[in-house]
Amino acid sequence: MDNSRKLRSTISAILGVPEDQITDDLSSETVDTWDSLNHINLISAIEQEFGVTLATDDLADSQSVRKLKALLADRGIEVKAIANSE
Amino acid sequence: MNSESQPSQQTTRVKANAILAEVDAQPTIVNVAKASRKLAALSDTLAKVSLRIGCLSSFTFDPLKPFLELQGLRAGMAIEAYVAPYGQIEQQLIDASSDLAAFRPDVVLLAVRLQDVCPALYEAFNALTADAATQSEPARPRAGSSVSEPARPRAGSSALVDDWITRLRSALLTFRQHLTARVLIQNYDMPAFPAAGIADPRSPVSQCATITRANEALTELAGSIENAHVMDYEGLVSRHGRRDWQDPRTALFARIPIAPEHYWHLAGFYVRHIRPLYGLSKKVLVLDADNTLWGGVVGDVGLDGIALGHDYPGNAFVAFQKRVLELYHRGVILCLASKNEPGAVEEVFDKHPDMVLRAEHFAATRINWDPKPQNIRQMAADLNLGIDSFVFVDDSAVECELMRTALPDVLSVTLPSDPARLPGVIESLDCFDQWTISAEDRKRGRLYRSQVERSELQAATVDMPTFYRQLEMRMTVFVDHAAHVARASQMTNRTNQFNMHTIRCSEDDIRRFMEADDHHVVTLVLKDRFGDNGVVGLAVVRMARTEWVLHMFLMSCRVLGRTVEQTFVGWLAEQARKAGAKRLSAEFLPTAKNKPFVGFYQERGFTAAEADGDARQWVWDLTDAETAPPDWIDVIAASPDDAS
Repeated sequence: MDNSRKLRSTISAILGVPEDQITDDLSSETVDTWDSLNHINLISAIEQEFGVTLATDDLADSQSVRKLKALLADRGIEVKAIANSE
Repeated sequence: MNSESQPSQQTTRVKANAILAEVDAQPTIVNVAKASRKLAALSDTLAKVSLRIGCLSSFTFDPLKPFLELQGLRAGMAIEAYVAPYGQIEQQLIDASSDLAAFRPDVVLLAVRLQDVCPALYEAFNALTADAATQSEPARPRAGSSVSEPARPRAGSSALVDDWITRLRSALLTFRQHLTARVLIQNYDMPAFPAAGIADPRSPVSQCATITRANEALTELAGSIENAHVMDYEGLVSRHGRRDWQDPRTALFARIPIAPEHYWHLAGFYVRHIRPLYGLSKKVLVLDADNTLWGGVVGDVGLDGIALGHDYPGNAFVAFQKRVLELYHRGVILCLASKNEPGAVEEVFDKHPDMVLRAEHFAATRINWDPKPQNIRQMAADLNLGIDSFVFVDDSAVECELMRTALPDVLSVTLPSDPARLPGVIESLDCFDQWTISAEDRKRGRLYRSQVERSELQAATVDMPTFYRQLEMRMTVFVDHAAHVARASQMTNRTNQFNMHTIRCSEDDIRRFMEADDHHVVTLVLKDRFGDNGVVGLAVVRMARTEWVLHMFLMSCRVLGRTVEQTFVGWLAEQARKAGAKRLSAEFLPTAKNKPFVGFYQERGFTAAEADGDARQWVWDLTDAETAPPDWIDVIAASPDDAS
């Protein structure tokens, strides 16, 4: 599974959003289920799936797919841009 | 039971088991979330019991909820959980109109960490003891005494603990006035790094000793509240490693102190304590022989060639057998299922000096070339036990896969190929648990073995009365016998087949019936020429002037089919008649498992009265009722002070 697929599959599992609707623009502003509790769950899940520990300082304000990708990039994990469907 | 729906239901179960096994192998947040979605609609098909669990916690419990539900499903429970906002412990317990009370829980989990309710005990322990020591100086009487005493623990840390335990006690007592739900309380874990460092054990006020005392106080508290039990959370945390049990980031960020990789273990821990309360614990362990009890294939390498002895790898198999023997002494029934020539396996049991398990430890043995599912089905029939109470352990992945497909209700465990890891597999099985281990449990293996011998006797005889007479049965009936409380409660929790409606009772429930003026608890002990079967029958009767009501009636399956159940209810009817009652009434509520009970009342002379919901009422008119015991059973009423 490539990194982009893996990230979408993780977000989909935690937030209940269908995979094909997950784009870089998705954020807590646009998804009801992306509350603070699910956010921390999502962070933990991403850490488990990618086998990394994300920088604690930036966790709280990373409530969008774009920002999550930036956190992963800090750990050397590149995730391709996710546009509407592929 | 609809025979057409069976194959598809079995397929569903096989698929669901595969999903659950995958999660168990890799219990990540993502895998649990995905499996929950897949299984959500199936939980009623898969579960044997539906339960409402109220969770009160001192931390954010919500992420654990899907984990708890999935672990429940693995054990046969459809769990509906209510999670109270974190920190609401006392208010939810005390308030008769709280959300918890409105939820009407069957079980309440008290997931309270002492770190959260007495934080100073963990975060400021040294300061606390220092304060307590100085505060107690001025209070010390008479300056004349020059010897300074060590700080009294009561002054600081212990006062905090006492205060919390007292508050919890009154909250639970108040809760008990309006709800009967079982309460499971987790105890308190030690700090990974004691505040005094290496000095803690010898310190006059040791932090670890203080927490140990808190746990003792909690155990005592649970003992004083009806249907309350303590779960050893401290033991759980230490098994998994204190330091990494916690995740400081989720703890500080979201008040989720437990590290995500342990959610599955924690949920499994809760379920492990709940399943025995609902008769969902496994009872039988079926073992393979080659590469399970010993290394190598005895048919190929012979008695001298198998690995079993003092050195590796033989010592791994000895250690494995010792763990199995420990289960036997806890009341787990052992069976052997091996594809072999019987002679080869029997020779190992008879002659190998390093065998720990002996032939007499096995209640049933099948050494043949038949498929193992067929053998297990046969053993279940011989032992009169449900197939879903079986666990199958084999080194062959193929045998396990076959078992999972043919008998999805059997828990199949594939052994690792590394012999050194075998003992750990048995130790970590969490499906055989019971809340207490009675004297009955310690001899259960022997009891079931005698039962198989009895079936063999039956095979050799022709007519039933002759068979019954050969058994030389003597039953003793005890009324409100205090020494039988634990066993009576256990029977209600373990007996599924010959049980009129499968109501489960705690020891406190049984005691209450014994003490009530209008109720009697009647227990039945059966002896025969093969030995003492122990307490095998239980009835709770409610007595009114003209009518006695069988409130509960159940028998252990291993003594069924010997007319003991008919004789027992006859004896009860006779007591009712002597007391002037005109009728003995009872009900029957069909469950998935109590088919052996169907037809019992009618055969005994009861007539069907109206149905009440799913339950059917039955009445036995005592005017001309034939209540005398058959000539092949001696019935003795125990005098009140008889020992059991």
